[in-house]
Order: sequence, then structure tokens, then C-alpha cells
Amino acid sequence: MSILKVENLEKHFGSTQVLKDISFDMDEGQALAIIGSSGSGKTTLLRCLNFLETPSAGRIYVRDEKIFDSADMGSQREKDIRKKRLHFGMVFQNFNLFPQYTALENVMLAGQLLAKERDDFKQNKKQIFADLETEARALLEKMNLTERADHYPHQLSGGQQQRVAIARALALHPDILCFDEPTSALDPELTGEVLKVIRELAEQNMTMVIVTHEMAFARDVADQILFMDGGLIVEQGDAADVINNPKTERLQAFLSRLSDT
Amino acid sequence: MKRKFALLMALIMVCSVLFAACAKSDPAATTDAPQSDLEYIKEKGTLVVGITDFAPMDYKEGDQWIGFDADMAKAFAASLGVNVEFVEIDWDNKVMELDGKSIDCVWNGMTLTPEVTAAMECTNAYCNNAQVVIVNKDVAAQYQTVDACKALNFAVEAGSAGEAEATAAGFRVTPVKDQASALMEVASGNSDAAVIDSLMAAAMVGEGTGYENLTYTVGLNSEEYGVGFRKGSDAAAALNEFMKAAYADGSLQATAEKYKVQAALIAQQ
Amino acid sequence: MSLIMEQMPIVLHALNIGFLQTLKLFLVTLLGAIPLGLIISLGSMTKFKPLQLLSRFVVWVVRGTPLMIQLLIIYYFPGLVLHNPIWGGGEDGRFLAASIAFIINYACYFSEIYRGGIQGIPIGQDEAGLVLGMTRSQIFFKVKLLQMVKRIVPPMSNEIITLIKDTSLARIIALQELIWAGQAFLKGSNGISGAIWPMFFTAIYYLVFTGVLTFLLGKLEKKLDYFR
Repeated sequence: MSILKVENLEKHFGSTQVLKDISFDMDEGQALAIIGSSGSGKTTLLRCLNFLETPSAGRIYVRDEKIFDSADMGSQREKDIRKKRLHFGMVFQNFNLFPQYTALENVMLAGQLLAKERDDFKQNKKQIFADLETEARALLEKMNLTERADHYPHQLSGGQQQRVAIARALALHPDILCFDEPTSALDPELTGEVLKVIRELAEQNMTMVIVTHEMAFARDVADQILFMDGGLIVEQGDAADVINNPKTERLQAFLSRLSDT
Repeated sequence: MKRKFALLMALIMVCSVLFAACAKSDPAATTDAPQSDLEYIKEKGTLVVGITDFAPMDYKEGDQWIGFDADMAKAFAASLGVNVEFVEIDWDNKVMELDGKSIDCVWNGMTLTPEVTAAMECTNAYCNNAQVVIVNKDVAAQYQTVDACKALNFAVEAGSAGEAEATAAGFRVTPVKDQASALMEVASGNSDAAVIDSLMAAAMVGEGTGYENLTYTVGLNSEEYGVGFRKGSDAAAALNEFMKAAYADGSLQATAEKYKVQAALIAQQ
Repeated sequence: MSLIMEQMPIVLHALNIGFLQTLKLFLVTLLGAIPLGLIISLGSMTKFKPLQLLSRFVVWVVRGTPLMIQLLIIYYFPGLVLHNPIWGGGEDGRFLAASIAFIINYACYFSEIYRGGIQGIPIGQDEAGLVLGMTRSQIFFKVKLLQMVKRIVPPMSNEIITLIKDTSLARIIALQELIWAGQAFLKGSNGISGAIWPMFFTAIYYLVFTGVLTFLLGKLEKKLDYFR
């Protein structure tokens, strides 16, 4: 059973088509890397999965459950989307931490708000919040941020902020964790600590979709790679294979451009 | 889209109904008076008198408004069987206050100028007043005639009787907001002289006031005070009758003596 | 000088009463305009076009005309044109009319400040909230509101200081606020006539009041300094 299946996904912005007939699937525990030059549509694809953009056509399944179908837009009400989003976690290029909350509060906030919808919230409020905090602290520890739990985002380095953002996404137990160029906004010396955390997650068989420019990282960590260009999936397959033996001219050109710089 | 349009139409309708209700809620006032102004005042039970703080006509002692005008207004209201309420107004807006019915009359040592009698229903004059020239004490001796005063720059209250007299006398005038401002112009040296009411001058300049260096010299044409009601109001006539009665029984004279304006009082016959 | 010392207690008493009226108008305006401004700003940002246009039109009219005219219209229009003097002539009615004019006027200015504050928050904050399963209202109240407050405190402080001084405009409809109380002594009031200094003395009241507010607003700004 595939954990994520995308069928014939399309996206138009006005008259420009940024995604053309995108289809792929992935298994539980896999890491999928999406590569391609900027403007190739890879970030838009990720945003479609998270319902930050509404696809113009196509279907999306999670564990064989249809969560999006362009033929049935009636099911795309705000309330339903909110629940469906929780299948996915999202880590942004610019972290997007909430500046007025500490690292710990950033990790706990969404869980606390969702807990209010539970039937037993009133009776067990204290216990629920205590559990959330224990879990959040454990996640921060996993990110090597134990000491930083009570710091505000502006007191943290970019690498630390991004690790808080990863902990925040993990706190909601998503089926699939998405990364949108997680190291692009970081100083070069800070990318390592973030990539290390993602690598550890891969080793723990977290299902992940990673949009990245880091080719070596994609080859080592991902099981599967999608190469996108002009809104199309141009090549896809086993990670090492795709990078080491590019079959299309476009991928060859892309890879050589990267190694030049 | 249809639903939104319907919503908008509903909103517009609610607004217009509210507006109409607002406009219609006093039907007596909208149509040309089956009810006279005097009846209107009697019905609401209060005579609202528009005033400014102007001793000795209307001024405050503790919480109470007293003065020659205030006392007579109280007596008039009592004769109508209604309460009296004194409201301080901005003098420039007195006609708007009357027409907007926030007050029922202006009773505040108001000079009966052609402008005033055109805009209001005025009573007979009940008090004499003169316009006087105010100058600095040091130079007062040089400006004892109208001709001598022509050399001066005058400050006068805009639209006042003082402005009219000063202009008629051929003075160079600058209009200012009120009589008090005109005095301040002279005190500060921005203007050489001012023209204000003699009643006011008596209270405001000389020893024991903030203007002890000022004094008054030439008196210009004398003028008369009256009470103003809304244009077309029958209450003015009612007040004329009341004043005649008060003069006949001596209560008007007694009140005038109390506030030391008896010399200026005009006989009501 | 001794004359001034003699007049001082009477004048201070009258100025205090005037200042109380100024203070009341100031507080009522803030209390009304702060929430009303939020409603207008949300209206001017809504995707529902008619409401958006209406909100922006109201803001344009109110910001495009002098507050003094608005005071005159609100107080005199019902009596002069609709023949229904809803405010009455007394002080309470004048205060109510002045309050409404000030609340509407300041709500429109506040709404533009709010709009800038809300629109200045990066879209990433919305998106982060959405992918964490928050509702639109949770995102507004739990994530964006405080960031907006932080952004608007400096421009709001300016408007609030201006409001203190603008309250003096209310004397055009004969609301007896602080400057009115000071000016009364020019002509004569409470047995003192022709006194110039009380009017200038009101400046001290304004100065002290704006000083206190500048201090308090500065403290609030500092308090929000813990995040960026």
C-alpha cells in the first residue's frame, strides 16, 4: 500500500501552467527528494500537497484514502481541508516560526489548540497540556535544542530556528513531512546541523518529501528522486541512479550547472 | 454571487428604512405646524435658553445661572408652567442652535442688529447698550473723539454690532472670534484698539481685571438688547406680553436694580 | 502676580471641571474607536467587494473632511434637516454627539493603521498556522494579533497624543472642555473677568497629560520588545 499517491495533478496560475500531469507514488518510510531549477514547479507541488494551493486538476490519495479530487470540489470546504492538512507536516524555507512564542511554545501551540476539540478536554485539561509539554520537550531534545526551549526565535540562529520548525511539524504526528528547501535561507556553515537532523529522521524511517538544492544530500538521504523541469516530471527513480546516471539531456544540463558553481 | 447581491440589497433597504424612521419620528415638526412653537415648548415642559457666560446678564453663582436675563428667563418659564434649562452655546452658532431646536431662545444681552432680526423672531428691546472704544490707558487722552480714533487699527468681534459701528465710523478693522479676543488683541499690542459692548467693558477692563491697563473712551451709536426665538415663533409675542406685565407690576425694574442695569432698562408698554 | 495667586483656586477648579470633560471625551473615543477601527479595517480588507468599497468610501469621506465639520454635521444635522433634535440642548447630548463624531473619525484613522499592521505581517505566518491545522480565527487571535499590536503601537501612540489635543475641537458644538473653561475667564466667569492667563494655563494640563501618556505608551512599546 502506498502512503502517498498523486495522479495527473495540474496547476494553473491564470494562463500559465506550472504543473503538468504530475503522477507519482511513494511507500511508507521512504524519503522522496524533488530537485529542479527554480520555476520548475517543485515548490508549487509541495504547496498543493499541503493545500496551500488548490490544484486545477488531479487527485491525491493518502493511504488509499482520496483526500483531493478536482472532480469533487464540494468536499473542499475549509473545515475538511483543515483535517486533511494534518496528514502532512510542512517545514518552510523561511522557518515561519511565531515570533512572540518561545521555542517550546511554538512546538506546543497547535497541539494545544487541537486538544480543545477533544471531548475530554475540559476534564483532563491539565493532564493533556502536561503530556503535550513532555512530548514537545522530547522533540526539542531530539533536535539538540534542550537548552533553547525557552528562547524566542530572534534569539536563535537560523539553523536552530529551522530545527524548532521541524520539531513543531513533528509534534502533530504527520504521516508525511514536507520540506521546502529547508537550508536555502541559511548561512552555509549552518546547513549541516539541519541536514543532520533530516538524515536522522530518514534513518528512523520518517516518510518525507524534500524539495532541495543539495544534490549530495538528496543522493545520500533520499530513496527516490523526482527531477522536475517546466512543470513536468522529467526523470524519476532510485536516488543514486538518477543522480549518477542522468538519462535526459535536461537533467544532465541541470546537474552540470550545479557542479559548476 | 446572487446571494451576495441579495444581501447587499437587504442592507441598503434596512439603512433607508432606518433613515426614514429617523426623519419621520417627529411628525409634528416636519409638517408646517398644526402645533405652534409655544405649544411645542409647553408640551416638552422645558424652555431651553441659549446663553454665554456674560455678566451681568447671565453668569454662574455656584451651580446656579443668575443675572438680569437669567432671572427674567426663570420668571417667564414659570409663567408658562415649564422648567427652564440654561445651555452655554458657541455664539457663532446661535441661529443653528435655534433652528436645530437644541435651544428655544437666545436670551443673553443680544444686540438687535438687522442680521439678528432677519434670522430670528425677536422680542421688543428691553435694554439699552452702547459700543465703546477700548484703548490703552497711557494713550487714552489722545483718542477722545471719533476722528482721532481713525488713526488706530481696530479689533472687533466678527459679525457683531461693534463691527458694524466701527465700519460705519470709518475705522480700519480686523474681525476676530469674539469680544474677549478683541480685548486680548489690544492687551497684547497686536491691535491699537477694540470696540465692544459698554456693559461688557464695564465688567472687563480697568482695576481688578486682567486688563487693568485698558480703558474706554469714545461711545459709538447706542443700541438695544432683545430676546430671539425661532423665526415665526409665537413665543416672542408671549414674552412681549410677559415683559409688559412685569414692567407694570415693577418686578422687571426690581430685577434690573438687583443687577445694576436699571439705567439702561427700556420701558415696556 | 498677587492677583493671579488670588484667582488661582477658582480658576483651577473651573479648569479641572473642563479637564474632566476632556478626559471623558478622550477615554470614550478610545474605547469606541479601537474596536470600531478593527471592524472597519476588516471590512476594507474583505473579499466581499460591496462591503470593501463601502468601508473604503467611509474612510475616504471621514479622513477627507475636517473633524470640525463632522462635529457640526452630527450635532446640527438631525435638528436642522430631519427636524428631529435627537441630541437635545443639554450638556449630555452635546457630549454624546461629540463622542460619536470623535469615535467615527478616529476609528477611520485607526482602521488604516490596523490595515497596515495586518498587511505587514508576512504571509508565511498564515501559512505556518494553516499547515498546523489552525482555523482562520485561531491564526488571527493566537498568531497575528499580538504581532499586529506590536507593529501598530508606535503609529497609534501618535494618533492618541493627537486625540488629546483634538478634543478641544468639540467646543465648536459648545462642549465645555478644557480650553472652553480657560477661555471663559477672558470674558468673565465665576466672578473673574478679563483674565487672560487661564487660557494659556490650559497648555500645562495638556502637556502633563501627554507626558503621562507618552510614558505609558513607551512602557507598552518596551513590554512588546521581547520578540521581533
